[in-house]
Amino acid sequence: MNLMHHPACRQRYGTGHGIAAALLLVFGLLMSMVATAAPRVLETAYGQVSIEGTPERVVTLYEGALDAALAAGVQPLAAIATRGGSDVADYIEQRAGDVAIVGTTRELNLEAIVSQQPDLILASPRLPKQQYELLSRIAPTVVPPGTGLTADGWKAETRLFGKALGRQDQIEAALAEIEQRAAALAEQVQTRYAGDDRLAYLVRWMPQGAIVMSTQLFSTGLLDAAGFDVRDSGLVGDGRPHSDPLSLENLARVDGDWLFLATLNEEGEEALQAAESSPAFARLEVAARDRVIPVDGQLWTSASGPLAATALLDRIEATVLDR
Amino acid sequence: MSKDYRPVSKSRQLQPAMLAALAVLAFTCLCSLLLGAGETGPGAALAALIGQGDNAADFVVFELRAPRTLVGLAVGLALGVAGALLQAVTRNPLAEPGLLGVSAGSAFAVAVALALGASTATLRMFVAQLGALSGCLCVLGAVRLRGVGDDPVRLVLAGAALSSLLIALTSLLLLVDQHTADEIRFWVIGSVAGRNLGDLLSILPSFVLAGVLTLLIARPLAALALGEQVAVGLGHRPGLVRLLTMLVVALLVGGATAVAGPIIFVGLVVPYLARAIAGPDIRRTLWLCLPLGPIMVVGADIVARLLVRPSELPLGVLTALLGAPVLIAVVRARRLHAL
Repeated sequence: MNLMHHPACRQRYGTGHGIAAALLLVFGLLMSMVATAAPRVLETAYGQVSIEGTPERVVTLYEGALDAALAAGVQPLAAIATRGGSDVADYIEQRAGDVAIVGTTRELNLEAIVSQQPDLILASPRLPKQQYELLSRIAPTVVPPGTGLTADGWKAETRLFGKALGRQDQIEAALAEIEQRAAALAEQVQTRYAGDDRLAYLVRWMPQGAIVMSTQLFSTGLLDAAGFDVRDSGLVGDGRPHSDPLSLENLARVDGDWLFLATLNEEGEEALQAAESSPAFARLEVAARDRVIPVDGQLWTSASGPLAATALLDRIEATVLDR
Repeated sequence: MSKDYRPVSKSRQLQPAMLAALAVLAFTCLCSLLLGAGETGPGAALAALIGQGDNAADFVVFELRAPRTLVGLAVGLALGVAGALLQAVTRNPLAEPGLLGVSAGSAFAVAVALALGASTATLRMFVAQLGALSGCLCVLGAVRLRGVGDDPVRLVLAGAALSSLLIALTSLLLLVDQHTADEIRFWVIGSVAGRNLGDLLSILPSFVLAGVLTLLIARPLAALALGEQVAVGLGHRPGLVRLLTMLVVALLVGGATAVAGPIIFVGLVVPYLARAIAGPDIRRTLWLCLPLGPIMVVGADIVARLLVRPSELPLGVLTALLGAPVLIAVVRARRLHAL
């Protein structure tokens, strides 16, 4: 009745299946070759940029781009120094290897960039047009469109860099992993600490007072994703990354359940001690409850990207859950 | 400022001006305790002052506002007197520790020391004073140059160039050294917020020494104002007097910079006002500088707290805003010549 049940037919069917699979494979390969051969068109801040193949000689002029490139498995030839430093940020130093430093956030050394003979330049969303025009004469230059200050802006930037590198899959995997990780962490944090025990602030400490960081930053966005209720006490103006130095008399405005204390000084504990030597700081309830967590300012106030996110979540897990 | 022709007039009594200045100073200090960027208003602060305050008000008044008021007093005193002395010894009404690079030299020295790993307050002060002294010696050298010494504005230009260079170098340290970035930032523009009484106590000995020396050199300085030969004729040694004066200026400016960072224009405005009230005799000017300096610094600090609540402006910005118009006024005054 049913021919398919006949052994011979089953045999034929099997062969047909194999051929179809082979055809599909060939088609798939062809398609992927077409995909790599055809230029990828990127929407950047300064219009469309098309890039072919997988660039090998990559120069990153933005901390988020260095991070994204390494996360995608590309070793950039050159990068810029972290803010206030003379080398790349500590958290990424090992993975970056002996990457050449070709400038700082404020000042790029164009000649050093030229001498690297890059085939792709990944830049900051704040790169001025004038510099873009110079750089794009050296190599295709990718400037992420400015999204204003948003806690999730780094993800779009990372995806754009991934596409420029021809490694969307690695980037998507990395981003998905971070989202899972943050969600898992949030669950742990929320089981452990009640809803009215998760109010957190991120500040930079200076002897004259504290600077409150915006809730729309890479790091505060991740704190939020990790289950904290991050606020800025209304001290940060719209679109500004942080407040002006807060008067010591108003320090109580950052007296929540958790205080993440960023410092550009390497020794976080020292910064904590310096803060605690200020009577205004020592009076805070969050200090009395021993819930001030010193964090690396390079990582928390300057960096972005999948690797930075992982390092940051590690820090949250190690300090908030293991106590 | 035509001191050669007008003897100090007997009608210009110092006491009334002095009393008035002291009254203003007392009022300024009271305001400094009552006003701030926080939520402790004058009423609550007053209650704290008479022992009726709550915990928060007591803390704000006695732990935050009182120390910065005292630091402001000391810094104002030092910078006012230093300005008057520097102007007398260079015979230049524009000579000011901040404008001539003495403060910047002091701050730069501290920044270098910090970058090299120094952290103790005492060492910091010693370094600040050493930096100030080198700045002073630069000034003394510049005054001796023909042309620069005779022309008040040219001396200030030379000083401004030196200042900018030193501030640029301090900023450079800020850029390259992440370890001390936050600490060094303080040394670019001064402030008295968050300073404690320990800082103040550490500079007290050198201020006392500077005070004693000032009493010794006031008379020879006044004689020097009449001309080098007159001073020699009166039995003074101009070289020694100049050197001692520079030492005092370095002690004062270095000490003030060590606690409050570089604060400019106080040494210009205060002696300018003092001379306008008391006449050009350094012995009278100095007395009046004692209350006027603190009035300016503490007053500027109060404004710095109130302008951008709940944040604060750095004190150095405020004194610059107050001082720049005075500088322009002095330069534009028709008869600007050496003191």
